[in-house]
Amino acid sequence: MRGLVFWISGAAFAFVVTAGAFLFLANLSSNTSEKSLSPATPSAASGPSLSLSLQKDQLSSLKQLKDQKLTVTAKNSGDEELSGISLTLKVSSEDTSIPEVRYYRATVDQIKAGKSSDTPLDIDLSPLDQNDEITSTRTIIEVRATTPSGVSAVKTAILPTQTSQPSG
Amino acid sequence: MRYRLSALALAAAATLLAGCASSREVSIAPLPAGESQADLGLGPGVRPLSSGPGDKSAPNWSPDESRISFVLDGYVVDKPLNTQGLRRWTTKDFGAEEVEYNSKGGLTILGKDNPSNSKAPQPAGDSGATSSIYQTLPRKESFKLNKITGDALAIVPGQDGKGLVVALKTNTFQSGIAIIGSDGRVEKVYKNLIGGRVMGLALSPKGDQLVLSVQGAATFALYALDLSDGSSRVLARLKPDLEIFGAPQWTSHGIYYVAGDKNIEKTDAAPYKLYKIEPDSDAPEPAPGVGEDFIASSLRASPDGERLAVIGRRNPNSLTNLYIINVATNDLQAATSNDDMEIKTGPEDLAWSRSGEEVAIIASGAVADLKVHAAPASSLLADFYNLYEVPVNEQ
Repeated sequence: MRGLVFWISGAAFAFVVTAGAFLFLANLSSNTSEKSLSPATPSAASGPSLSLSLQKDQLSSLKQLKDQKLTVTAKNSGDEELSGISLTLKVSSEDTSIPEVRYYRATVDQIKAGKSSDTPLDIDLSPLDQNDEITSTRTIIEVRATTPSGVSAVKTAILPTQTSQPSG
Repeated sequence: MRYRLSALALAAAATLLAGCASSREVSIAPLPAGESQADLGLGPGVRPLSSGPGDKSAPNWSPDESRISFVLDGYVVDKPLNTQGLRRWTTKDFGAEEVEYNSKGGLTILGKDNPSNSKAPQPAGDSGATSSIYQTLPRKESFKLNKITGDALAIVPGQDGKGLVVALKTNTFQSGIAIIGSDGRVEKVYKNLIGGRVMGLALSPKGDQLVLSVQGAATFALYALDLSDGSSRVLARLKPDLEIFGAPQWTSHGIYYVAGDKNIEKTDAAPYKLYKIEPDSDAPEPAPGVGEDFIASSLRASPDGERLAVIGRRNPNSLTNLYIINVATNDLQAATSNDDMEIKTGPEDLAWSRSGEEVAIIASGAVADLKVHAAPASSLLADFYNLYEVPVNEQ
């Protein structure tokens, strides 16, 4: 009788130890998944950050002609200096069947943290379709800025159609 | 004492196991309903199927609803439903009008013949312009197409999406019908059946008859054509100043079509009305259930013929929306809730999914002003005409 009680008590003890081990492992697992689901807290102005802007007044005054001037402003919003910033400006039509696309490239050597840099560009906004005297569809100006370290920014302007032949 | 010790151990084990069970509940939290879907200006539940520049038209769902094809600035593309990855099937100057998935997974395309010649003067009742039917070849043959037939006026997929029914121009004032098999071969041709130019056609729910809208020398008419023997009869002849817009639709409860004054420029606000005619009747009537002020544009019958998708306005002062009509009960339900978007109203600018649970429409936001965005053009939605999926399984 004493032996039987001993074996039952032993089995119960072994069960408790095993269950405790499983509980420990389960808690470890659930803690890990809870951590992965919690959203990352954004830290303001930490690390590199780049933004682009185009002046609306200047965009509004653009004509469907060659030699149009547009200034691209790149701002370093982060807390580290950025260098070797490549700017690419693409002029295309909203009509995707028009194959001609015009590219303009420039490089900004460096922008200190919190500072901006203006890059004036001369761009050709004459009709992309050679058969048109005036563009009947809207023109898209897309500007991208990238650094060798992979920081990037993009800005897209959609110019309205001009209903009459522009002058000047 | 010994029994007490054993009972204590078992109770401890049970408590630990209960603790294990309760810890699982922590990590499962339901997402609030609707939080993941923003309203894009067309109402809740509507989601985009395309983005970026380009004038899109004539959407069409693949049979398994994994892809959608459309005409983009006159050329044909298709893409997976839920991602980008546009696949172009024709040259950019192709002049495509319609595109349909065929049962072999390729595309059947209606493309203009000599679009530059369409401005030449033509006899009354004959605009002169015709199109050709093409089938796509495997992708390794870049932009090569198999021409099935020329002189095409309008197309409609065959019964259950297999094959194709084509209206053909057989001479200046007459039209015929060709039945095209799934392999692209012409199986049967009915020549000179109909006096006039076929502007649109639709199959009956059983697939044994066609309804045709036909422009004659002076009037528009609706014809019913029996595909077993090629016999045809006039269902209705419109008054001389009226025209039929787009293709009529043959539902399980009658034939519907949109008609209006041909002297008024066709805009989405032009007073075009929705009419219904029974197949064995010659007396069309205003479609019941929509209200007398309803302005209709494009329409499509659902795959089972039980519902009709209509793009229109409740009255001249309301915005354009997609409506679903239950043709058995004449119940009209708005499927979109337009918040100042411009929904396209061309005759081919809406399409049912094969399951009948969604309708694809094309819309854009206000486009007149200068717009600046901190995003690439290819990701923009409302600045260009783009495709949207509207859930309609509740209607």
